[in-house]
Amino acid sequence: MNFLRDHLVILPILLPMATGALLLLLNDRARRLKMLINTLSMLALLSLAVLLVQRAAGDGGGAAVPTATYALGNWPVPFGIVLVADRLAAVMVLLTSILGSCALIYSFARWHAAGPGFHSLFQFLLMGLNGAFLTGDLFNLFVFFEVLLAASYGLALHGSGGTRVKAGLHYIAVNLAASSLFLIGAALIYGVTGTLNMADLAARVPLVAAADRGMLEAGAGLLGVAFLVKAAMWPLGFWLPSTYAAVSAPVGALFAIMTKVGIYALLRFSMLAFGADAGASAGFGASFLLYAGMASIAFGTVGVLASKSPARLAGYCLLVSSGTLLAAVGFGSQGVTTGALFYLVSSTLAIGAFFLLVELFERVRIEGADVQTVTIEAFGEDDDEEEIEVEEISEAIPAALAVLSICFGICVLVVAGLPPLSGFIAKFALLSALLNPTGMGGAEPIAATTWALVALVIFSGFASLIALTRTGINTFWMTMSDHPAPVRVLEIAPVVLLLGLCVIMTIMAGPIMTYMEAASAQLHAPSGYHADVFAGPGGAPVERSAP
Amino acid sequence: MLIFLVALPFLASFLAALLPSNARNAEAWLSGLVAVCGLAITCWLYPQVSNGGIVREEIAWLPAPGLNLVFRLDGFAWLFCLLVTGVGFLVVLYARYYMSPADPVPRFFAFFLAFMGSMLGMVISGNLIQLVIFWELTSITSFLLIGYWFHIEKAREGARMALTVTGLGGLALLGGMLIIGRIVGSYDLDVVLASGNLIREHPLYLPALLLVLLGALTKSAQFPFHFWLPHAMSAPTPVSAYLHSATMVKAGVFLLVRLWPVMAGTDAWLWIVTFAGLTTLILGAYAAIFQTDLKGLLAYSTISHLGLITTLLGMSSPLATVAAIFHIANHATFKASLFMAAGIIDHETGTRDIRKLSGLFRFMPITGTLATVASAAMAGVPLLNGFLSKEMFFAETAVRDANPFVNLALPIGAAVAGVFSVTYSLRLVHSVFFGPPPEGLSRTPHEPPRWMRWPIEVLVLLCLIVGMIPGITIGPFLATAVLSVTGADTPAYSLAVWHGLNLPLAMSVIALVGGGLLYLALHRYLSRGIEGPPVIRALRGDHIFERVLVTVFWKWAGELKAFFSTQRLQPQLFFLVAVSVFAGAAPLAGRLGGVVFSAGNSDPAFALVWVIGVVCAIAAAYQAKFHRLVSLVLLGGAGLVTCITFVWFSAPDLAVTQLLVEIVTTVLILLGLRWLPKRVQHLENGAEKVRARLRRARDLVLALVAGGGMALIAYAVMTRPGPEGISSYFLENAYRLGGGTNVVNVMLVDFRGFDTLGEITVLGIVALTVFALLRRFRPAPDSIAKPVQQRIQKAYHEVNFSGKEETLSEYLRIPSVLMQWMFPVIIVLALHIFMRGHDKPGGGFAAGIVMSIAFILQYMAGGTRWVEDRLRIRPVIWISAGLLLALGTGICSWVFGYPFMTTAFQYAEIPFIGRVPMASALVFDLGVFVLVVGATVLILIALAHQSVRTPRLAQRLPPPLTVVEAASTPSEGDD
Amino acid sequence: MELILAIGIGVLTTCGVWLLLRPRTFQVIVGLSLLSYAVNLFIFGMGRLRINAAPVLAGGPVETALYTDPVPQALVLTAIVIGFAMTALFLVVLLAARGLTGTDHVDGTGD
Repeated sequence: MNFLRDHLVILPILLPMATGALLLLLNDRARRLKMLINTLSMLALLSLAVLLVQRAAGDGGGAAVPTATYALGNWPVPFGIVLVADRLAAVMVLLTSILGSCALIYSFARWHAAGPGFHSLFQFLLMGLNGAFLTGDLFNLFVFFEVLLAASYGLALHGSGGTRVKAGLHYIAVNLAASSLFLIGAALIYGVTGTLNMADLAARVPLVAAADRGMLEAGAGLLGVAFLVKAAMWPLGFWLPSTYAAVSAPVGALFAIMTKVGIYALLRFSMLAFGADAGASAGFGASFLLYAGMASIAFGTVGVLASKSPARLAGYCLLVSSGTLLAAVGFGSQGVTTGALFYLVSSTLAIGAFFLLVELFERVRIEGADVQTVTIEAFGEDDDEEEIEVEEISEAIPAALAVLSICFGICVLVVAGLPPLSGFIAKFALLSALLNPTGMGGAEPIAATTWALVALVIFSGFASLIALTRTGINTFWMTMSDHPAPVRVLEIAPVVLLLGLCVIMTIMAGPIMTYMEAASAQLHAPSGYHADVFAGPGGAPVERSAP
Repeated sequence: MLIFLVALPFLASFLAALLPSNARNAEAWLSGLVAVCGLAITCWLYPQVSNGGIVREEIAWLPAPGLNLVFRLDGFAWLFCLLVTGVGFLVVLYARYYMSPADPVPRFFAFFLAFMGSMLGMVISGNLIQLVIFWELTSITSFLLIGYWFHIEKAREGARMALTVTGLGGLALLGGMLIIGRIVGSYDLDVVLASGNLIREHPLYLPALLLVLLGALTKSAQFPFHFWLPHAMSAPTPVSAYLHSATMVKAGVFLLVRLWPVMAGTDAWLWIVTFAGLTTLILGAYAAIFQTDLKGLLAYSTISHLGLITTLLGMSSPLATVAAIFHIANHATFKASLFMAAGIIDHETGTRDIRKLSGLFRFMPITGTLATVASAAMAGVPLLNGFLSKEMFFAETAVRDANPFVNLALPIGAAVAGVFSVTYSLRLVHSVFFGPPPEGLSRTPHEPPRWMRWPIEVLVLLCLIVGMIPGITIGPFLATAVLSVTGADTPAYSLAVWHGLNLPLAMSVIALVGGGLLYLALHRYLSRGIEGPPVIRALRGDHIFERVLVTVFWKWAGELKAFFSTQRLQPQLFFLVAVSVFAGAAPLAGRLGGVVFSAGNSDPAFALVWVIGVVCAIAAAYQAKFHRLVSLVLLGGAGLVTCITFVWFSAPDLAVTQLLVEIVTTVLILLGLRWLPKRVQHLENGAEKVRARLRRARDLVLALVAGGGMALIAYAVMTRPGPEGISSYFLENAYRLGGGTNVVNVMLVDFRGFDTLGEITVLGIVALTVFALLRRFRPAPDSIAKPVQQRIQKAYHEVNFSGKEETLSEYLRIPSVLMQWMFPVIIVLALHIFMRGHDKPGGGFAAGIVMSIAFILQYMAGGTRWVEDRLRIRPVIWISAGLLLALGTGICSWVFGYPFMTTAFQYAEIPFIGRVPMASALVFDLGVFVLVVGATVLILIALAHQSVRTPRLAQRLPPPLTVVEAASTPSEGDD
Repeated sequence: MELILAIGIGVLTTCGVWLLLRPRTFQVIVGLSLLSYAVNLFIFGMGRLRINAAPVLAGGPVETALYTDPVPQALVLTAIVIGFAMTALFLVVLLAARGLTGTDHVDGTGD
């Protein structure tokens, strides 16, 4: 289809935006209609994402196809804003839409009614995420960061309530500070290189005068800190567990990918600007990332072990996963990046599912306590709050507890990286690549830090195993109630979906890994990115003429 | 075929999970069938593996990192398959009768089959990583099986302990395998087995060995990791009979045998493995004697027998390995039967406590006989299979070794252990089946159902025939297994019962006689029935383990977490600033590239402006705590200076926008101030004052560093020639291609219109959030009461005008009238700013802000109610409309086959206004305008409304009197 | 000129950061505003300072040397708008926090 071929790259951004804007026109009471529209748009987005991945993957698995780009306003590349959908961006968009769909389904059970504007905010968050993944322009990246942050603020506060607002305040304060860092960094980079287009930047970095190089790297450093805040690196990520524990379950699930935005930006930026052919600045900040990542893994592990509430536990699991990814980015060998990408997808899916499960846990724990209490907390008894019908969860699905415990089991396996599921495959790929930097075997010695990283990754798995078993036993084995847990199909279905994907990732590991390999190869060859971006969508862009 | 062998149990396990919870027979049939199929396949494959053949099947899974599913069956693996499926079948049959109808059997059989599958997968893995996968699967499934009766606390704990220990081992094993893969360059078992020397001589050999051993020894419950096994006895007896005799715990020794060809033979291996084994052998046997729980006794004897096998493997002589493999098979048979017997006793008498049991022989003679024979095999009585392998063991220990310590330790240790094993076997048989009839049993015991006893009969029969005619029964199979392990240097050995009078035989005799004597000696002590072995009773591995677990993984973790993290915002922001200062400073250290400070070319007027600016900023910072209003005004001052700077350096657009935003922000904060608590300065006492001082000093230093850095960088960049960047393009093409002379505006709506689209989305989102949040807004009790002035006013009215608000009726009349008149004027102004935007400073955003200011003025003038009676604005609709308009404009270009937001423009003559650019960008800008109006007004109104809402809230809250107090109570100011 | 502006930026940053680290929500919001001024000026400065060279074309052939760099100005405009939005949001959140926790301390605890 011609139209799709031309505009596919931008649609994942425009579709959610349009949906979000349209949903504003509807009264909050027209919930059924909103649900319908939202679902349809979500499905459309999902299919778009799939198309995008297909396009990026090309016909064959590893076959090199020119990266799909989109010149906004049809302006020639370094001047206008350009969108780039390479393999990594495409897979991130797909991941976003998958997580989004599941969170959305879950929210239909109750949460979407817990306050005004949920549906629009949800769509705007998707818009921001997709934009951040697709854009090839530094300042545009900032704008989309702000879009997704603004939406995330809204969603984090969704449902109001003391704890949420308190956590939200911290979250917002920290991220506002980070945003100004982003601006300073981006401005500095512009001041030195005179460009905002990332591909152009990649080309200019090697040419920067020695006198200005310090400036450039300072700018990059500040930018990096802004990204690291999103990635919740230790000690910049203390806001994460409390915030994510406070937010409503579907929002938490969707937030599981927000740390990955930071990782993505770091990966993209460091590969482009400070990749192999970045001249004197090559590999800037890599070792810092490595150590920071290891520190984050260590801290996350400690947190996992020490946290009592499942929600916080999930938050710390997120810290561990982004720590692992940071270290992998810092390590920066192509094989490691491959493993890291696989790990990114699998851990995001699993932790997203975990966030959804956590709320259901609480219900199992307080043996089918009435939803009423939960909702009152959520809605806040306010005078001019229109009464939202909260039907008691009656259609508790049979064997809910069994399903829940199975889901949790799978979750544990993936999160802790135990065999045989995708979590293990990811960790194995990562570790194997760490120990065999130049293909299997090889005689070159292995650095002490590498050993330390390997040990950390394995140990963090063990720690998660201990902590998660503890939680699981306390949840499912200690408090067994005869009457079935009050869980709805709408709530369990997305969890099953996410974990099912983890299982599929396990079975389809071969092809997926191949895709990731190609993606990481693409990342490690910025020159190709540069060439594709400058070539424009259909070769050279149309030169516009005055009327 | 092998794939089928592994897949079958897993598929069956899914099926089993779906059956109804009372389908005991169906489940048993299913599982039994699976086991038989497995057995059949195994037997069917025997010809291919006999005399050293290998069956190998491969499925591509993860070729890249070298993880393909490789199934590889050789003689040794075959022997294990035989055990797993064969014993598996018997256990299923047994379990059918053991499990009570009350138990949810689907779960049991599902897990059981899954375990069987994992075990089979493990033994026929042809890839190290795949082996680890199935290894961990056995840990996980066994966890589920041990915890089957999870309503019992002991079961939960036992399961968790088993999982923790074996899970740790599994991860260590993974590490070891990764290292081996790194050494060899492949994870394929055949490749690995082919490169023994490479591994043994590699510098990474020792770490690899240690990790692998950690895995194997934890799994096989070797000292010092033996303690989890007795706790696992809280599993249903069929599970124990299967996992803890034939399969799970054998996985460890299986691994040792598997890697024996490539890892054994070094000193490290010899010392670690042999002595871990020997210690376990003796301690296990010793502890077994003093158990009062039937299964506990068997558990410890299992530990000890595994120790025996490990010891043999440690000696790393081919003959020892033969003995090890032989004993693996023998132990499986007699131990499984004993566990089943114990289960029957438990089942029939309702207890497993040796102290309560006695003289059961007269109730269940057949079971008694069987158990006795099995125990005899366990004790190593001649003409039983246990005797043969134990004899081989004695023979091996007696072999003279260069090392004198080995020379003494091994044979003596072996003999002692032999004595002990005879003792506990005797105790088992004697105290349970002989002596006076038992008292105080809940029911009178009798023989179990026919088919429940059948498995034991089979196993005991095996013990007998293997024990009497080993050569023609087990002989060939053992040979096959041995051949596949020791390969070329397979030793000559004979399985005869009678080797003539030699040292091993003497040791056996010593063991038997000594054991008997020891039992007699201990009889009185034992009959007192004291729990736990004397001397080493205090040494409880499980307690130590639990304590370590709790201390390290809970207490210390908590402390570490508390130390390395914070819940408070201030430290978080401090870290953030500190890290960014580092990130900014580190690259610049010594690479600033020459900065020349010169105040030259600076205009004194400008300097003066900034003196004011600086003063405003500092004062604002200083006042922000106790005098909010003042600081707000000063903030405005700083903003104004920023505006002037923009004007000064030829950025009119920025100046306009900044100014307008300034106004709106100030109004917003003013509206907000009313809800913040009263804050009056108070004097902190000495200590906290000092601490506060220090904190502030620290923060100030950081702030100064940050500020200095910013100043330095800014100066350095500004004083350098600009790079040859993209900017000139915009200047050149703003008019030619963008159709506007105000380049900045053209950039906003055209070159970089996409940014603007995102930006207005942000504005819209924020407006929505604010709206949602304020609908829930509940003011703090102490700010609900009307402000003090209003209360005074009210009191005044009460007195003079009997409550009628006379003095307020004309309040601010003139200004409000003026403001109402201003309404149209400002709207026109807004339109003007909007229209000129494309060519002169101005544009949609500025116009939007102006427009919203017009509305605010109306609210100020007439009050919320007055305005909303007259004009009803629906801001949310405006927001949506604005977004859609902007979006639509962008999409229009698709119609003409151009990318999103490709603009077209035309100039149009409009009477009185003149030549107006009619760029499609203008429509986009209109969208911006509409949205900005909507968003800004929404925010302002939402905030303004609170004052209208709260009186209603006030009625529902405590009477004003207390409120007044609350308001006037000074809140102390900390920092 | 550059020196003055640089110092100005430095002072604004210092005040902003210092307030950012204070425990009262109002102090934080003032700090954020000051910080945003500093950042905007910084971005603006990255285009180098020019007097009487507003990027408003006079018509006729374009002599780029006559105009200042428009790019940073465009960025600053976007930044100003987003900054405005975020200030408003933060204000309301702090009001809500104040309302729900009864204190204006950033941690919502203590007084």
